[in-house]
Parts: sequence; C-alpha cells; structure tokens
Amino acid sequence: MAAQRTFTKQAIPKSMTSNFRGQSIVTHSSPFKPSTLSITQITTFRVADFHTSSRRHILPAGPQVINGTANDPAPVPQPSPTHGSYHWAFERLISAALIPLTVAPFAAGTLNPVTDAILCATLLIHSHIGFQALIIDYLPNRRVPKTRALFMWALRAGTLLVGVGLYEFETNDVGLTEAIKRIWTA
Amino acid sequence: MAALRTSTSRLLASTRPHAFRSAIAARNYATVEPVSAAAEAMSASQPPVSPKKTSTIHEQGQSPEARTKTFHIYRWSPDTPSQKPKMQSYTLDLNKTGPMMLDALIRIKNEVDPTLTFRRSCREGICGSCAMNIDGVNTLACLCRIPSDTSHESRIYPLPHTYVVKDLVPDLTQFYKQYKSIKPYLQRETKSEDGLEIRQSPADRKKLDGLYECILCACCSTSCPSYWWNSEEYLGPAVLMQSYRWLADSRDEHKAERKAMLDNSMSLYRCHTILNCSRTCPKGLNPGKAIAEIKKTMAFT
Amino acid sequence: MLAQRFIQLSSRRLQANQPALSKFAAPAAIAARIQARHVAFQPSSSPVQTTPAKPSDAYSILAAQRRLRPVSPHLSIYRPQITWYLSISNRITGSLLSGGLYIFSLAYLASPLFGWHLESASLSEWFGSLNAFAKGGIKFMIAMPFTFHSFNGVRHLVWDVGKELSNRQVQVTGWGVLGISVVSAMVLALLV
Repeated sequence: MAAQRTFTKQAIPKSMTSNFRGQSIVTHSSPFKPSTLSITQITTFRVADFHTSSRRHILPAGPQVINGTANDPAPVPQPSPTHGSYHWAFERLISAALIPLTVAPFAAGTLNPVTDAILCATLLIHSHIGFQALIIDYLPNRRVPKTRALFMWALRAGTLLVGVGLYEFETNDVGLTEAIKRIWTA
Repeated sequence: MAALRTSTSRLLASTRPHAFRSAIAARNYATVEPVSAAAEAMSASQPPVSPKKTSTIHEQGQSPEARTKTFHIYRWSPDTPSQKPKMQSYTLDLNKTGPMMLDALIRIKNEVDPTLTFRRSCREGICGSCAMNIDGVNTLACLCRIPSDTSHESRIYPLPHTYVVKDLVPDLTQFYKQYKSIKPYLQRETKSEDGLEIRQSPADRKKLDGLYECILCACCSTSCPSYWWNSEEYLGPAVLMQSYRWLADSRDEHKAERKAMLDNSMSLYRCHTILNCSRTCPKGLNPGKAIAEIKKTMAFT
Repeated sequence: MLAQRFIQLSSRRLQANQPALSKFAAPAAIAARIQARHVAFQPSSSPVQTTPAKPSDAYSILAAQRRLRPVSPHLSIYRPQITWYLSISNRITGSLLSGGLYIFSLAYLASPLFGWHLESASLSEWFGSLNAFAKGGIKFMIAMPFTFHSFNGVRHLVWDVGKELSNRQVQVTGWGVLGISVVSAMVLALLV
C-alpha cells in the first residue's frame, strides 16, 4: 500500500461559514448509501498517494476553491481597454496589414528597403502579441505569478533583441524579403 | 517494501531544488495513474481507470433476440475520495430501452445500478440538467439518440474540465457566479411614456432571437479549451452570449457599463474563435457569432 | 441537503446511544439489504464513527469536499473536430514561424561573437549545395506552416467582422483552408 498523507484543513473565511443560505452543492444521490464522512474525517483527510513521482502538468487545475458563497457574483475586473478592446483592434490591424506587406514585395519583385523595414516591424509586433497570448493563456497569473512574470520579461527582452538583430540584418545584409528570395531560389 | 520505496523517493524528491515547484507542483490528492506520460503532460485532468480494468455489469434476464449495447460511464464517489475515478461498463438491451441516452441512464439507475448519479429533470431539452459529454461531444442526454449500432460502445463522461461532485454531476457554481456577474436583467432608469410597458419594435425584438433561447446547460462553455484553462477569469461562451443578449436589447440603458465590464484582458478576450461552442450547442444556437458581435461593437464604438 | 444530512447524522448518533429505539433500526436494515444486492460501486472502506455537525459547519464541510474533487477528463476525451484542431494548429504554426524568426534574428545578432556565418550569401550558398530532394523537403516544411497560418489568419479576420460563422461555413472554410495551404505549399516548395 502506498504511503498515506494527511490532508490538513484549509483556513476558511468566517463569512463563508456564517452564511447558511447558499444552495446545496453536495448531492447524495443514493438514499441507500448514507454518507460515512464526519467532520473530523474531512478536516484531516487521509488520502492515499497513487503516484510518488513529482510530475508537472502544463496546466494544473488544482483543488477546487470557490471564493464567497454560491450567491455572490464572480468578481468583475477593472476596465482596461489597453489590454482589452484597443489591444484587440490593434492586433487585427497588424494582422490585416501583414497580408499586403507579405504579398507586395514578391509580387512586385523589387527591393524596397522601406516596405521591408515596415514588414519586419509588423512581423515583430505580430509575433510579440502572439507569444504574449500564449503566456496569458497557459501561465495564469493567479496560479503561477512568478513564472508568468519571468516569461513576460523574457519575451520583452527577446523582442527587443530580435528587433536589434533585424535592424542589423536590414542594414548590413540584403534585407529580409530579398534574403528569403535568394535562399529559396538557390 | 513498496511503502519503503515510496518514502525514500519522497525524501529524495524533497531535496531536489524546486525552481517552479511551489505553484506547478503535482497534486497529491486523489490523483490517478496516467494513461501515458504525454497524455498527462497535455492534460491536467485525472484520466479514469480504463473500462478494460473494471468489471462489466450486465442486465438481468437477457432475451435471445436482445440488441445488447455497452455503455462505459465515468464514476467517482465523494464517499471514497481517494479512489481513482473509473469507467464502469454496463450492458443494456436496446429493445427494452427508450431511444435517448437519458432513457438508457435512467434504466441503468432503475434496474441495474441505483448508485449511478446524474442530473435530469424535463427530459425534453428545456431544463439543461442532463448536460454531459457523450461519445466525445457535449450535449443533453435527453436530446441525444442512442446510436443503434450495437457494436459501437458509448462512452459517457461529465462535462469536460469541471470539478466532479459525483459520477456525471459537475459542480457549476463558478459558471452560475459568472452568469450573475454580468447582471442578466434589464437595467433602466427612464420610464416609458405611458408609464406602463417598455415597448420594443418588432425589428428590435428580432435581434434577441437566437440569444434568449439559451438554457444555460454549460455545454458550450465546457467545450471551449480557453474556458478549460482559464475558467476562473474568462467568462466562457454561454455567459458571453447572455451578456450580448442584454447588449443587443434596445430597452437596456446600461450598455456602456456592460461593455466596460468586459473590457479587460481576461473576461472576453480569451476567446480565440475556436468555435467548439457553436458546434456543440444542443439548442442550435451560435455563441461564437454572439461573441464576434460583442468584439465588433467594442472595437468600433 | 446539508440540513438533511445533519438530521441524518444526529439521528444515527441517537440510535447508537440508545439501542432500545429499535423501530429506527428497521428502515436502516432494509436499506442495508438493498445496498448489499447492488455490488456495483461498493466503497472498500468500512463505515467509521461519526461526530455531530452544526448547521454553521455547512460551508467548511463543502469547502473541504470541494478540495477533494477530481477534474473531469477533457483534451483526451473530446472528439477531434476541425474547429479546435485547426485552432491549435494555427497557434502551433504561428509559434513555429515566429520562433524561427526570433531564433534566426538572435543568432544573427550573436554571430560575430561566435564566428557563425549567417549572412544571406553564405546561407544561400549552403542551401544551394543541398540535393533537390532535401531542398524540396525543407522548403515544404517551411512553406506549409506559412501558407496555413496565412490562409487561416484570413479566415480568422473574416470571422472577426462577423461573417462565415455558421457551423457549416466554419467546416467548409476549414477544409478549404487546409486544401489551399497544402496545394500552395507544394507549389512554393516545388515550382518556385
């Protein structure tokens, strides 16, 4: 038998224990099988460990914790259009702008440093927003705040350095579209 | 011996440096053996014990011309919380069973295994109680026909990525709390001219079609991968569609506040137009379209 | 429900203290017999002694029970559908392309330090030295994510203006995008 671990009771806010009007969430469907749980049993629950290795999930759901009673609404965050509607509209504008910027240089077949520079900048912003969405989705602030901050700062530093790198490539080399064209037809 | 090995490995594990351990640490309660390491890395859920490893409960008194179909049903009981969730197999004679999945479940509960737990009420797709994942798709058991092909074994799970209260019963507390947070009622200060009804033109009323029919069964929200990962903050398709139902209502006067409530990184904009929601809706509604309309109105006003 | 349970618990305790109240025992015995017939989902642990609960304990009991609940399976059981498979493919291909751009650009920035030759001239010289099979393969491996992400990106932009959002249209455009991206990637890899 695997070793057992004592599950200690979590501190529960006073407001939750005093209010008894909440809807019942626990269901005991079978009248034939009365629950054998007691308070002492629940508060220090002995739970068997089924695996002993410390596996790491990408998105651990964690034990269920509900803040407040079932009758309280979920908290509404402060409005922040820079992370909301403006961000969304900007993202769409950048994505839409990429279509003519990618097609034009190859269709025209000419080397234009200005459109090439604009393409590089747009690609960089598009990539940055994309990676940002990845971090926001898969590294939630409420669960892994430190990892989230680390990745965000790494992304910002990375984007800055990539920007410098692209500038170097644009100024010292033939430019992005021309380089791709040459390698592709080599 | 096993216990000894266990404690040693845990001792060793505790001496390892924990870079991101505190937050991403593995769970130590009611966890189960993974199907495969890759599957587990992709998923934070606890895969149930495969039906191959559990017994099958057969219906009593089989007739020779029986059309026997196998149902694998997810089971977990809060009375034994440390036991792994498991897939329990049942066989039923389809000749004696009604046409819908809910009929099969009720027959199992009545005649085969009374401990099976699930929610049901209206049996006609109007209450939304029997929402569950049947053969990989979220739907209402009462609106889902049993495939008559008896060689195909049906699998029934609770709504995906929900906390399981028991067997097929998910805890939807967070879902209802989110619904409450969008203030799903008419907000208006000014009285109508005659002080009686607040009237609406037929054209304005028509804008609410396809929105008000939602029964909040949570099929769409729990089919959305974005909602799986961020259900604490992202509102999910069902609640967002109801939010749009009030944004589209010509009588409501608090539209600016409603929009401000959604104007942040998480509440609305975790929607990446995956569109599992519209695909799965058992009432044939289109939450994906409603969310696209919200984004449009928020971007251009 | 919790109040009901409270009554249940205390009545059982009363019965344990006063065994003389045998009339309460009869329903319990029947229940036990019925339970014994259905061996489908028998808990392995035997019933343990209970302690009284107060109504004010309701939320602490509930909160403790919530912490023990498993999460139902999701990714592993949800039916593969074009909706979410194309969505995650869009994300993966985008990450590959942007990741490639980031890695190349950072390597180019660092190349003078390590003496790498990442100038377009030396890269095209290296690429030109490969055989036709390797060339076509590498080109397709790069062109496929690019064409898919581009065409699916257009599909997303169309959705963002509120068009083509019915279930049927989503499936038709999904398979269409997949077909066009494979064909155009082939053209880019083999003909250009």
